[in-house]
Amino acid sequence: MWKIFKKELTELVRDRKTLIFMIALPVLVFPLIFGLVAFVAANAIQDAQTKVLKYALVGEQFAPEFANTLQQDTEHFKLITVTEGQDFKQLIKEQKVDFVLVVPSTFSDNLFDVGQQKLQLHLNDASLNMVYGRVNDIVKEISKHRQQTAFADLGLGELQQQALLEPILLEKHNIADKREDWGEKIGGMVPYLIFILCFQGAMFPAADLGAGEKERGTLETLLISPIERYKIVLAKFFTLCFSGSVTAMLTISSMAVWGIVLSQGMAIEIVTEFMAAISVLDFILMFLMLVPVVAIFASVLLSLSIYARSNKEAQGYMGVLVIFVIIPVMLAMLPGVTLDGGWAWVPLTNVALAMKELIKGTMDYFALFAIFGSTAIIAGGLIAFCVYWFNREKVLFR
Amino acid sequence: MIEIKQLAKKFAVENPKKLSEQERKDPRLKGRFFHSVEDVSFSCKAGEVLALLGPNGAGKTTTLRILSTALCPDDGTVTIGGEDVLQNPLNARRKIGFLSGSTGLYGRLSGRENIRYFGQLHGLDDAIIDARIEELADLLDMQSFLDRRSENFSSGMKQKTAIARAVIHQPAVVILDEPTTGLDIMATQTVLEFIQRLKEQGTPVIFSTHHLDEVNELCDSVTIINQGTTCFNGSLDDFKGLSGEGLHQSFMRAIA
Repeated sequence: MWKIFKKELTELVRDRKTLIFMIALPVLVFPLIFGLVAFVAANAIQDAQTKVLKYALVGEQFAPEFANTLQQDTEHFKLITVTEGQDFKQLIKEQKVDFVLVVPSTFSDNLFDVGQQKLQLHLNDASLNMVYGRVNDIVKEISKHRQQTAFADLGLGELQQQALLEPILLEKHNIADKREDWGEKIGGMVPYLIFILCFQGAMFPAADLGAGEKERGTLETLLISPIERYKIVLAKFFTLCFSGSVTAMLTISSMAVWGIVLSQGMAIEIVTEFMAAISVLDFILMFLMLVPVVAIFASVLLSLSIYARSNKEAQGYMGVLVIFVIIPVMLAMLPGVTLDGGWAWVPLTNVALAMKELIKGTMDYFALFAIFGSTAIIAGGLIAFCVYWFNREKVLFR
Repeated sequence: MIEIKQLAKKFAVENPKKLSEQERKDPRLKGRFFHSVEDVSFSCKAGEVLALLGPNGAGKTTTLRILSTALCPDDGTVTIGGEDVLQNPLNARRKIGFLSGSTGLYGRLSGRENIRYFGQLHGLDDAIIDARIEELADLLDMQSFLDRRSENFSSGMKQKTAIARAVIHQPAVVILDEPTTGLDIMATQTVLEFIQRLKEQGTPVIFSTHHLDEVNELCDSVTIINQGTTCFNGSLDDFKGLSGEGLHQSFMRAIA
């Protein structure tokens, strides 16, 4: 059996196309693309932040203080004089100005007499821009100043000021520790990523291992070799398990490495703290839970592959199968879906939930037996089916 | 010596609508089953080359697949050297060498690795495999390409490798299913020379073909299958004698 396993692996390693999909893409190309996108996005935001904004001010005379602040900040703002009654929309569309600010006539009046003042900001907010934020920063500054003046006029002390601004404050005391908090946030993503990667890693070689043998005309020769069919199935099955797990591990390690490199030590402390909180036992348990999951993937993929007449047909079947992997894991990410209810019995979803619980550190370890047991039984059943399938003349000689 | 007696094999028809016009008219279609092979018997002695002839769809490939243990018959017996093949297929596979015109190779393995792989599956020691590969490579003139990846082989190189792979374990009987179909003249010649060599070594060879000149050149006896039943069993001379006007006429007479 191991001879077949070894030969399948040799072939796999020599298949450049599969290797590119399995290793090069996730390990090198994807992080590069993500990095590039992040770089471009950061640059765009930086540009929007520092760009000199052309503006028009209507009712300048009502807010000399405000107009002055804008005018003096020549590094960030440039005043464009427009004639009264011009269409703002047109001006912005023609890119003559980036925004138009309309000041009400009562702007500088005593706020106790006129109440809240509304400034109108006209802009095209469809594309990435920082106009609102940048103008708001200045407005907030003036607003705060006015507030303080008003409080002083009223003769209010700091205590009263605070009470007036926010009469009741709801203070949040989170009893969840950092691990549980982060676990809930990213715990759902981890199984999702691992499942998809395992599946993909097994999917690319799977088509070749079954349908590929038929297509090349090597299946018959293999079948009449003096080796039991179940050994052929198991050898191919282990090849898929191996390839699925290796792809997942490689990709995750590469993401971790890239993550550390890209974050340049910024978030490392949080990550290491978070990782340190998860015990070795939990890591081992997560890995163990993955074993039957990978076995499920490998046996289903192999059954489909051996049924298909050609590589193309096999890939067609497998494409559809991806949805059946994504949906149960997506379910585990939904709020309210926990291991308490019937979800503990839904295959794949239960493992995804259990992995999330393990990451959070809130796992009920007894439930683990049931989940692991039921998943292992399903996996065992599927492997048995795969062996049975491989003995069917109807399947082999379609 | 390989002996085949009253082989029968039927296949369930999944979707009768998908059957061709010809298949629907075939008397072997009975209810939900297509009786591909109904009654096939013949034998092949040591040093004998037996040609298995018959029209397309007659049941030749099914018969040969049963002999190679890839398919399991519903009825009948196959014995090699007195041992029942069907009782112990694993043991029988060690005694059989099988090759068809459509047999492929693992493209990403070299010629040598392809042959070695099947040698290992037959449980041979590495030293024996190496020695056999050297011997076969000299015999089939394969040394120049043996260590190249087989995906770039010409059809002749592929067939030579497939032959070496089929006989790496020195089988007691060799079964060939249309081994020259789709091959060019050079590759065909390689196969024919290989059959000749087996004959000289005393290995019984059963091969199906549509080329009657190959039959005339190599065969000692002829078996004709028509609609799943043996309709002629005899020596090459008996076969020629069926019409006296050449092999094609004899064949037509046998299946008439």
